[in-house]
Amino acid sequence: MANNSTADFQPQITLLYCRQSLAAEAKPVQGNRSGDGFSARLVLLPCSSKVQLPHLMRLLEQGSDGLQIAACPEKACQHLVGSNRAEKRIARGRELLEQVGMGAERLGLDRGAGLSLDDLMEMAGQRAEAVRALGPNPMKGV
Amino acid sequence: MSLHAGTKLEKVLAAGQFALTTEVGPPRGPDVEEVLKKADILKGMADAYNVTDNQTAVVRMSSIAGSKILLDAGLEPVAQMTCRDRNRIAMQSDLLGASALGLKNILAISGDHQGAGASGKLKGHPGAKGVYDVDSIQLINIIKNMRDEGVQAGGDTLTSKPQFFIGAAWTPLGPPIEFRVLRLAKKVAAGADFIQTQAVYDIKAFAEQMAKAVDMGLTEKTAILPGLIVPRSAGMLNYMNKNVPGVVVPQELIDRMKAASDPQAEGVKVTLELIEQVRELPGVKGVHLQAIEAEELLPEIINQAGLSPRPEV
Amino acid sequence: MITAEWKPIEEMVGYLRGHKKVLVIGCATCVAECAAGGEREVETLAPLLAMAMQNDGNPIEVKSATLERQCEPEFLEAIAEAAAEADAIVSVACGIGMQLVAERYADTSLYPGVNTTSLSIREEPGLWTSRCAACGDCVLGFTFGLCPVARCAKSLQNGPCGGTRTNGMCEINEDTPCIWRLIVERATARGRLEDLTKVRPPKNWSNSPAGGPKRMLREDLRS
Repeated sequence: MANNSTADFQPQITLLYCRQSLAAEAKPVQGNRSGDGFSARLVLLPCSSKVQLPHLMRLLEQGSDGLQIAACPEKACQHLVGSNRAEKRIARGRELLEQVGMGAERLGLDRGAGLSLDDLMEMAGQRAEAVRALGPNPMKGV
Repeated sequence: MSLHAGTKLEKVLAAGQFALTTEVGPPRGPDVEEVLKKADILKGMADAYNVTDNQTAVVRMSSIAGSKILLDAGLEPVAQMTCRDRNRIAMQSDLLGASALGLKNILAISGDHQGAGASGKLKGHPGAKGVYDVDSIQLINIIKNMRDEGVQAGGDTLTSKPQFFIGAAWTPLGPPIEFRVLRLAKKVAAGADFIQTQAVYDIKAFAEQMAKAVDMGLTEKTAILPGLIVPRSAGMLNYMNKNVPGVVVPQELIDRMKAASDPQAEGVKVTLELIEQVRELPGVKGVHLQAIEAEELLPEIINQAGLSPRPEV
Repeated sequence: MITAEWKPIEEMVGYLRGHKKVLVIGCATCVAECAAGGEREVETLAPLLAMAMQNDGNPIEVKSATLERQCEPEFLEAIAEAAAEADAIVSVACGIGMQLVAERYADTSLYPGVNTTSLSIREEPGLWTSRCAACGDCVLGFTFGLCPVARCAKSLQNGPCGGTRTNGMCEINEDTPCIWRLIVERATARGRLEDLTKVRPPKNWSNSPAGGPKRMLREDLRS
């Protein structure tokens, strides 16, 4: 099995971000981007509340090293409680990931408003750092 | 007046004397000596001694065995029986066994839920299956029918009638407060000859509940013994007030204990006052007095309250 | 509804060691309502089990399906092919559905992914509370429509024990109301508190699970 050493481990992060958390002038982007020591796949959501555990778990089963959700600030959700729902689901997902030995840190949610593409990549980078200690997703290539 | 079982407790009450009961908790082991040690301290102090049935759902020597040890040591037991661990078959069988051993005072109670054992320092058996085939009122009635009709709950007859003096518990100050006297009435209707209450500190509130019981004529059919637990610190009263359902402790009593330079001595004084106060209430026929893990305080209290020596009946 | 809750994943891992092809099946009825065994939960559990087994050193291939109802034989045919390919089935339906699957696909190992726990209602989002104990001797006619068998920790029949907290909640669980307090309140509101003063005799438990396996027969419906 190609178990990459931590040194050359380049975490592949899937970043799911809320359309509303972007800065007004920012153009929504999707697809793969390279960061410093990691790569990110950006996925646009109409609202962070659209994330559901089955999708998140499938993404990890398919080999993504970490999942990062970008949600609006608590009071700024266009669906009022959408981002709070997402936050609770993420908390549950983290518990489950801990139970199956994947590590809670493979999944996280952070909030922000007026985000730029750089901000999103920074969030993905932080998730990559949190994931780095866990090593590559054992499901990769399975 | 004919007696049901002719126990000392029953005779003291029948004679119109102010009755006194206390409690002996069996040990968490088979140690007869442990029971006898407590018996030694308390012998002659009370008319009868409750022997608890796995209180707080922690396994201890059985109430019936503990009661028999007391009986042999010259103390009259009140064997407690909960509805938690036995179905009606086991209960009636144990009642016949208790009777055969000479145990005649029985206190029928629901019992602490099996989940209660995990709350303290001990583990208990929270995974045990609670039985609760019958409730305490139904158990009271089962005992009464065995005694008076010589019949089992299922309808079969007994070969002879066991003699029992039947006790029940009452939480006069628990919610829903308006139902508590009605529930007492149900216990009396089911056959309770005497009642021991949850610990009472709020005499005014208790007096109101007693007045209702008197009005309903319940005190003519049953002997009510309010429960009194010797307070030993403000912390203990605070704890009971907050955590023991049905126990209401007035703030001024907690403050008084807090201000006392010698809380133990103050607790004895408070207990003596409580005894006097409940004694004044119409319908009160005695007290059920406990000093939890401080049985050595009881002789002094009983002496000072003028309740010693116990009447010869 | 019948409620169930996931078993610890560790327990499921223990069952699945030595298996290679696992089918996770749910039920879109009761257990979907209580968020234990509907499609969403099945599709969450299936990848989780794949990850758990991979990390356990016993990789498996996982497939999943959610049946309309797992307790009716005709709905089980939908998974005939998948079941034939699998060497183990994890069911997150209630114990009834699980047993029908075990019977229909008797050659395949069947493991429970949930514990079946109660007959409850969804009281609030994310909160389910007991309403019925299937005691076979309904007392709701005496208790103003509130069940003391299912909702009193001691199944008391004649009123509250001494364990009612000052705030009216149960001593055993501070978030569960003393059902007898509620019964008394409802009786009082109806002006019928008197009804609760009659002593209720011991219940007949012979028609409950305590009486042995139930066999309900209706000749007029038999073919």
